[in-house]
Amino acid sequence: MHTIFTRGNAIVAYTLSVSACLTFCCFLSTVFIDYRANATLNTVKVVVKNVADYSASREKNDLGYLTFDLKTDLTPLFNWNVKQLFLYLTAEYQTENNDFNQVVLWDKIVLRGDKTVFNFKNMNTKYYFWDDGNGLRGNKNVTLTLSWNIIPNAGLLPSVNAFGSHTFAFPSEYTSLRV
Amino acid sequence: MSSWIQYIKSIPTHMDYDGQARAERLSRVIITLFGVVGLIWGYVIHQFSQTMYILGAGFVLAALITVPPWPMYRRKPLDWQKPQSEVMVKQKKKK
Repeated sequence: MHTIFTRGNAIVAYTLSVSACLTFCCFLSTVFIDYRANATLNTVKVVVKNVADYSASREKNDLGYLTFDLKTDLTPLFNWNVKQLFLYLTAEYQTENNDFNQVVLWDKIVLRGDKTVFNFKNMNTKYYFWDDGNGLRGNKNVTLTLSWNIIPNAGLLPSVNAFGSHTFAFPSEYTSLRV
Repeated sequence: MSSWIQYIKSIPTHMDYDGQARAERLSRVIITLFGVVGLIWGYVIHQFSQTMYILGAGFVLAALITVPPWPMYRRKPLDWQKPQSEVMVKQKKKK
């Protein structure tokens, strides 16, 4: 501590240690919080087509098309250790080819300070609902679930499933409409 | 010109041992205090960034108070003994 430089070095080092300690306290204060919340999902329009997915092969695969309603209040999820939420809507179903399929249909980033109460009506999906085969037509048990990734200032990066899911069936005939 | 240099060189820039200890203790107290207050405030208003800003303010304050060798860190100079000549040292060793 006998020169300006050693003193400067000492207090910079100490400040960094304290900031690491504070960040750890912030992490500890939120690590046991339950980040689950309710979400109400519904499908409005559900059709299925049989078209070629040229991005993968020339074979014809099932392409689902749906619009959905989503109502949820994510206000309680935000605290001082949450920077943003990454919401994603997943369809889960079983086919003859695979026991368990998961397709992400839609997502959304919710930043801290954004609106956190959502009431979407008749939303289009963001991503194609391709099946790797012909497992969608007449599939009676497709479940939509909303999940979110919590991006914290410090700590874990949990992926949480919302309470409430919606199960719907695809029609048993391919549509000839353009969708 | 040289008188200016003489003047600048005559400005004391050291801290005595007691001053160094006090500077270190003071800087730690200030930064810790700002850190604790910042943590509480950030938790109350749910903004962790405010915690970091308050800690930063504590850092700046501590830097201003304890990094420059202010005169208040020079109040307890050590009482050095007068330089002794070689002969005296040798005599002491014989004893």
